[in-house]
Amino acid sequence: MADIFNFIFGVVRNIFRMFSSSRNPLNNSLNIFIKCNTGNTLTVGLDPKWDIKDVKNIIAPKLGANPDEVKIIFAGKELDDSIIIEDCDLGEQSTLHAVKLKDLSIRATKQKKCSLLRETVEDEDEITLLQEKNNRDKSHFYVYCSVCAAMKIGKLRIRCSKCKSGAFTVDTDPKSWNDVLKPNKISGHCEQNDCPDGVFGWAQFYFRCAEHICQGENDIAVPLYLLKNNLRKIPCLACTEIKDIVFVFTCREAHVTCLECFRVYAVLRLRERQFVLDDSFGYTISCPVGCENSLIDECHHFKLLTKEQYEMYQKFATEEYILKAGGVLCPQPGCGEGIIVDLKCDKIVCVNGCGYVFCRKCLQGYHIGECNSVDNNISIDNIQHVTDPAKALQARWDEATNVAIRVTTKPCPKCRTATERSGGCMHMICTRCSFHWCWVCQIEWSRDCMGTHWFG
Amino acid sequence: MASPSPSERRLQKELSSLMKDPPPGVSVDANAVYQHLNLWNVHMKGADGTLYQGEDFQLQFRFSSKYPFDSPEVTFVGDNIPIHPHVYSNGHICLSILTDDWSPALSVQSVCLSIISMLSSCKEKASTLSIEKH
Repeated sequence: MADIFNFIFGVVRNIFRMFSSSRNPLNNSLNIFIKCNTGNTLTVGLDPKWDIKDVKNIIAPKLGANPDEVKIIFAGKELDDSIIIEDCDLGEQSTLHAVKLKDLSIRATKQKKCSLLRETVEDEDEITLLQEKNNRDKSHFYVYCSVCAAMKIGKLRIRCSKCKSGAFTVDTDPKSWNDVLKPNKISGHCEQNDCPDGVFGWAQFYFRCAEHICQGENDIAVPLYLLKNNLRKIPCLACTEIKDIVFVFTCREAHVTCLECFRVYAVLRLRERQFVLDDSFGYTISCPVGCENSLIDECHHFKLLTKEQYEMYQKFATEEYILKAGGVLCPQPGCGEGIIVDLKCDKIVCVNGCGYVFCRKCLQGYHIGECNSVDNNISIDNIQHVTDPAKALQARWDEATNVAIRVTTKPCPKCRTATERSGGCMHMICTRCSFHWCWVCQIEWSRDCMGTHWFG
Repeated sequence: MASPSPSERRLQKELSSLMKDPPPGVSVDANAVYQHLNLWNVHMKGADGTLYQGEDFQLQFRFSSKYPFDSPEVTFVGDNIPIHPHVYSNGHICLSILTDDWSPALSVQSVCLSIISMLSSCKEKASTLSIEKH
């Protein structure tokens, strides 16, 4: 009996040990790539307790140089000799850049205090370094990582905008998201031997997911720059709770919601088709208060929704784009393929979809001459062979749905979108074309409607 | 039990803040609200020095699960519906913040204040019948 307990205890302890060591790889050796400006890449196992001086001692012989002649660059900064590796925020399989100096005199002028690039970029107002230190564990960038398929903590990285080499040092730190997202804002110096820019170049910023082991140069993540750490303890606009991570809209008031309320808000507006199709930002929404200049301009923020909801977002966005471009959507149930054809053409073939041929005007099967009334039930009398009319009526695929739609909805008088009135007054506002109409009269909403049957 | 939705958490907070710091003449039947968080009965007294002085009104707030991203449905209920150009005899209120101008930054408290000020600024008791004649 005691053996069994010992065995179980041992297993649990081992699992726990595995768990804790995988959570904290810094306890052991760290596998790091060191890229040299000569073109070689070395893989080295570094002790996280080492400082940069130790790294230089290892690297220098491989570059054929003295340790003094070597510069170690990481995330746009030259690392000072005294910096300890575990303070650098290096993940497993990160890349450091080693450069052999051509001229030692350059070095003296370039020597500056080395603050590591891990701080949150804050718009307009900088957060002081002291505050940064206090919130060290909390200050992060958020990214959408396609490898993890989720929102993750991100790391800001820098490379030369010309040759894409990471052996690049910046002249100043980025002060705002504008500096990071827009090209040619922060200047610097590329150390890559064959780079055409060399002495003066522009920094290019990009992000990596901090939560999986880097899978190479192209493993980059999209910054979700509207997400911020709630260092200022701002309550959510909707639920009024103070959450750690918040969504900050771009309006002048910079309205704040928590992530949960952002999701609720976005899904509500999506289902009601209240997103707008903006020429420069795409299919998007504004801040819940409806402020000016608050449209979300990076659609990856909608990746915060579930996979199904994001697919719905993509589908609706495509449909709206096609309709705006003068196209039509195939009316066959289950198809809905978007088709863009000449405006004068009424006979439309669903070429890339189901092959259905239909009339642009009435969206029924194609016909010659004027459109019939909408109700085009197939007359059972026309069928040659003998069937039981009652059974044939019951055996119609999806007929119940069609009937339900016909009974419970009325078409918008302008765009014909089937509309259901679930409650409230008779004043309808079309969710697709924003036409104001009257549920009773099925024409444009008027003062007469307001006076006689506003509430039924 | 499932944790409360954002909408429920918001209503809980609004309820306690309305009970702690109600606008003048406003009170809420908290016990009834605890039964149905999405249906509130709010008592409102006509403000002193206005046409509605000495009158008592009852407001009903109905919240959908979309609250606060959608406005609450607010109507006067009970025996005494105020006679006011923007209030229908069935209790419906014509107030822009209850429809087009609603924003999730508004609250039960701010809606109550708007309704109080709408009543208080009235110079002459007239019903909405005048609209119907147009």
